[in-house]
Amino acid sequence: MKAKDLMIPLREYLRPDTTLREAANILRTANRGEEKVGVKGLPVLDESGKMIGFLSIGDILKAVFPSYMSLMDLGDFTWDGMVEDMAKKAGGKKVSDMMTKKVISVNEDSSLMECVDHMLKNNVKRLPVISKDGGVTGILYERDVFFAITKAMLEENQGGAK
Amino acid sequence: MTHEAAQPFIMDTAFWTATIIFLMAYAVIVSEKIHKTIVAIFCASLMLVLKILHQHEAFHVEEFGVDWNVIFLLISMMVIINLMRPTGVFEYIAIKSAKWGRGEPFRIMAIFAIVTAVLSALLDNVTTVLLITPVTLLIADALEVDPIPYLISCVLASNIGGTATLIGDPPNIMIASKAQLNFMDFIYHLSPIVIIIMVFYVFAIKLIWGKKLVTRDELKQRIMSMNENEAIKDPVMLKKSLVVLGLVLTGFVFHGALHFQPATVALFGAGLLLLLSKTHEPHHILAEVEWPTIFFFIGLFIIVGGVVKVGLIKWMSVQVLDITQGNLFATSMVIMWFSAFASAIVDNIPYVATMNPLIVDMAGQLWPDLSGVQLLHHPDLMPIWWSLALGACLGGNGSAIGASANVIVVGMSEKAGKKISFMKFMAYGMPLMIMTVIISTVYVWLRYYVLKI
Repeated sequence: MKAKDLMIPLREYLRPDTTLREAANILRTANRGEEKVGVKGLPVLDESGKMIGFLSIGDILKAVFPSYMSLMDLGDFTWDGMVEDMAKKAGGKKVSDMMTKKVISVNEDSSLMECVDHMLKNNVKRLPVISKDGGVTGILYERDVFFAITKAMLEENQGGAK
Repeated sequence: MTHEAAQPFIMDTAFWTATIIFLMAYAVIVSEKIHKTIVAIFCASLMLVLKILHQHEAFHVEEFGVDWNVIFLLISMMVIINLMRPTGVFEYIAIKSAKWGRGEPFRIMAIFAIVTAVLSALLDNVTTVLLITPVTLLIADALEVDPIPYLISCVLASNIGGTATLIGDPPNIMIASKAQLNFMDFIYHLSPIVIIIMVFYVFAIKLIWGKKLVTRDELKQRIMSMNENEAIKDPVMLKKSLVVLGLVLTGFVFHGALHFQPATVALFGAGLLLLLSKTHEPHHILAEVEWPTIFFFIGLFIIVGGVVKVGLIKWMSVQVLDITQGNLFATSMVIMWFSAFASAIVDNIPYVATMNPLIVDMAGQLWPDLSGVQLLHHPDLMPIWWSLALGACLGGNGSAIGASANVIVVGMSEKAGKKISFMKFMAYGMPLMIMTVIISTVYVWLRYYVLKI
């Protein structure tokens, strides 16, 4: 099994100059596969279709999280409505300001174990899949890798039962 | 009184080589093209490779090399504070201060300035602003006011407060070590004027920002409903830390009488608190020491050692005495004001590293028969040391790059999306710096040249 066999083909993507407000809406309404609505992350492509970053829900959380909160233990001293206030301010930021620029990706022909290796070592749940011409053709989700693993496990059990 | 150099020196190849390395190092540090620590380490190594200094001189000779008293005092204080930070005591103090301010924007600004000044005097100003800036940004968000006036008023207060004690600001640590002055000398000579300056300072910030800061009553409630007790994460470690910090501060008070160097006191505190913390991973605590700052000091000591050895510093001290014609009041005034403006432009650490040996050389020319403590503590020389300390510490307020604390606050503020431009900082920092140096001028003149106490 290779990355391209399990990936979900890419339908939506983001542009670097899109605002977070629009981007959040795209994430909310994007289709993943056939049935599910809403994705937890999308690649950011430039005009030539080259991937320059990845915006995930985590990046949106970071956009409302003030930098000073990460410097000290101030969680106890926040107030009701703070996240909503910060969200209003963060809505106008650009995708390019908040996206993860160093994206861990795999090739279409990468083996499944290589994909698992990247997921575990870099603690990511989604891997953009890159074609030979450099474009993003799909996304490999942790969930789909899990399905492949369970399938293999069940087959093994049936074999053992014989 | 003699103005000639005691020993004539030769402007030979070594002289010019060392001078060029020194000037090059300063120029690159000011330009900020390369990180200052890298410049300091590289140029220090050049002094050794080009045989301006022997390694033995750089590492083991006090006159030409690294001042380990300064280095170990800094490292030890950093270790103590790194161990204290996770207890939550600094968050506690900051939130408590905001509540003392009852959510009133200016009251909070004034209390934060005073708390910052006191903490800067007792810890050091760089650590203090690292701890106070995040809380300041949080409070400003809670009150929906512009955080920039709060940040600027805090960092200026930290440089003023740090001036008050031996450990408050790196220039004082360096001056104390070179001039063999103890903690109580600083308390006796600098703390009184710093308290007076703080009174003027609070009035000044009231004039500048007092009326501009407004908030709404429901926002004040956000502050008042914060519970500072929740900040304390580790009460047991907090008690241990406070006991050790108390011991260290007591040790500083008596270090002169007990004949301990300040670094000995601080190192004992760091060792004791590490032991009491029962940590099995000192790696963490030690890794958090600001090694770039420490190596910046080490590099500078060696670079300055090189130009001391070849005689550049002696030549400079002759020029200073020429300008002031040996008039010591004029000398101390020139040093204070020159230090203030120089520290606003250059980092005050390399500046003081250069001035220290210059003043010692100058003293050697003025009183060639004296040596050791008798020379360093000559009654006519003392006001010059205090003028250097006041000028260099307070001068740090003159610009955004004048002191390490300023650089840190400007950086943190920019990260939080509130950029403080160089000119904006200067618009407040420079006039307030000039005000504090004028007050210091009157103080030095009155105390040492009129009242002579």
